[in-house]
Amino acid sequence: MAQFWYYVFTLVFFLFDYFILAMGLNIQFGETGILNFAYIGFVALGAYVTGAVSLPNSVGTAQQYIFGFNMPFPFSLLAGGVAAMLLAVVIAFITLRRLRTDYLAMVLISLSLVLYDIINNYVRLFNGADGLYNVPQPMAGIFHLTSNAFVIFFACVTGVVAMILWFFMSRITRSPLGRTFRAIRDDPDVAAALGKGVFRYQLISMLIGSFFAGVGGGLIIQFGGSFNPSAWLPGETFVVFAVIIVGGVGNNVGLLVGALIVETLLIHLPAFLPDIPGHPGLIEYIDTMVIGVALMVMLWIRPQGLVPERLRRFAIPTDELLHRDGHAVEAPAVAMNVASSVPAATTNHDESDEA
Amino acid sequence: MTYNDNPSPFGGEGPILRVDGITKSFGGVNAVNGATFDVPRNQITALIGPNGAGKTTVVNLLSGALKIDSGHVHLGSTEITNMERYKIARLGLMRTFQLSRELSGLTVLENLLVAPKVQAGESLFNIFFRPRLLKREEKQNLERALDILQTYGLYDLRDNRASDLSGGQKKLLEISRGVMASPSLFLLDEPMAGVNPALIEKIGGYILDMKAQGVTVLMIEHNLNVVERICDNVIVLAEGRTLATGKLSELRENKEVVTAYLGEIINAGPSH
Repeated sequence: MAQFWYYVFTLVFFLFDYFILAMGLNIQFGETGILNFAYIGFVALGAYVTGAVSLPNSVGTAQQYIFGFNMPFPFSLLAGGVAAMLLAVVIAFITLRRLRTDYLAMVLISLSLVLYDIINNYVRLFNGADGLYNVPQPMAGIFHLTSNAFVIFFACVTGVVAMILWFFMSRITRSPLGRTFRAIRDDPDVAAALGKGVFRYQLISMLIGSFFAGVGGGLIIQFGGSFNPSAWLPGETFVVFAVIIVGGVGNNVGLLVGALIVETLLIHLPAFLPDIPGHPGLIEYIDTMVIGVALMVMLWIRPQGLVPERLRRFAIPTDELLHRDGHAVEAPAVAMNVASSVPAATTNHDESDEA
Repeated sequence: MTYNDNPSPFGGEGPILRVDGITKSFGGVNAVNGATFDVPRNQITALIGPNGAGKTTVVNLLSGALKIDSGHVHLGSTEITNMERYKIARLGLMRTFQLSRELSGLTVLENLLVAPKVQAGESLFNIFFRPRLLKREEKQNLERALDILQTYGLYDLRDNRASDLSGGQKKLLEISRGVMASPSLFLLDEPMAGVNPALIEKIGGYILDMKAQGVTVLMIEHNLNVVERICDNVIVLAEGRTLATGKLSELRENKEVVTAYLGEIINAGPSH
């Protein structure tokens, strides 16, 4: 029975963690239109930095890594988030000032490969291809948690972190800042013509999304206790894209649904299934194909995702409505003599919005 | 409703816009070849010329969408030559596009709410630490946006996705969005193109109303009937150069202008 709950809460952990990662990518891609194909690099840096600051000094250990501050949770997690933000500043200045859409995506995926090679080959940074391991389990010692109990505990902690970040993200996306992000996504030229410094807002979006990526990565290494390059092959970025495309770009509830379907049900649930006799690893391959097919099917038949982005409607006070409805303003008095007699140029649209 | 809540930073006399010998070439093609003109303050000026004269390129250069190869542009006393376009917009120069460019994923109302150039709600600090300021600002912007939508006949469509509007409605949305940004100088790139005659009359009325509210308008327009009725001045461009400036009635007597542009318009028939 303990094993059952271990599996269940492992799935719960990945649900919440990928929800965090999806929110981070969504503000960049879904809200601001930045096609960040290097996203997994930010996740990885967050994981490595969180791990490296949590571990004790590396002198005398079998591992090589920088930092080694014995930093407690949640400061270690914040360090991972901040490190990812610093990377975002560098990458934003390299890419966002001059590049857009497809060219931006190509450069970002290249930078992701460069980052991967640096971390994989420069062993003194984060222990190279072996990665970091024996990362302390946050608060396990304080509460005397067994490994099974820690999984349950940390899945709940991740859930709390996800809810806090969801609250912050909702405040941002519903604010005028979120509106400006979406204006830039829809047409950066128009946004600039309205006085919006497009690069500045893209940078802010990159910073917010990268913080989420770093925190999501940090949670992964603190949950599992290890992290190495095999966990963040550049293609992993597309898993997070699959989460937001299946769930619904620009909709936080959709992201949770996407995380449930793609990350929990399609990736991690099959990992607990026994191997097919005579075909070890086959389930994993089928798994990858299913994600690819799911992505294509969604883009084909329902590109807006299962829970589409909702139009932001404003609650207008009733007295305002009474004042305005049915009282069309006359055309300007100085109109070319005939304008005031011209019928209204617009008509009501009957169709209701799909959202 | 007022069109311009913010007094122009370019108060005083003299033209609001001075364009001095600007050039722009694409490869070997000189799209703009030394265009020079002034735009008088608080008036409506038409920019006319044959297709390929460089009118839209000039608007792109003035608004910062394209880099000027040589020459100078002053907005009031401020040189805006090759200034970043969002900075030009923040100085009060707004523009519309030849083909309407609505923010398609936003509602009609949001298209207007995004327009005020600097908003307290665009700061992360204010979002989390000054919610009252945000609420107050949003309420003010909402009231102003609703006023403008009502004036422009888009009020009932406020919650519709902007991409769902008809072509004429998109023209109105683009103009009303620019108005929401409180321009000092409004560049309109063919605001009447592709709209029905009734709407042409209406848009003409809105432009006259802008002028009455102290907004200077520079508009590209092919419809000489409209130009004659609402524009105070006309600038004729041909082959990227300023061919002539003045009242349309005067320009009708100008042989060069008639040869380059008006002749073909007059010959084209009564629709113009």
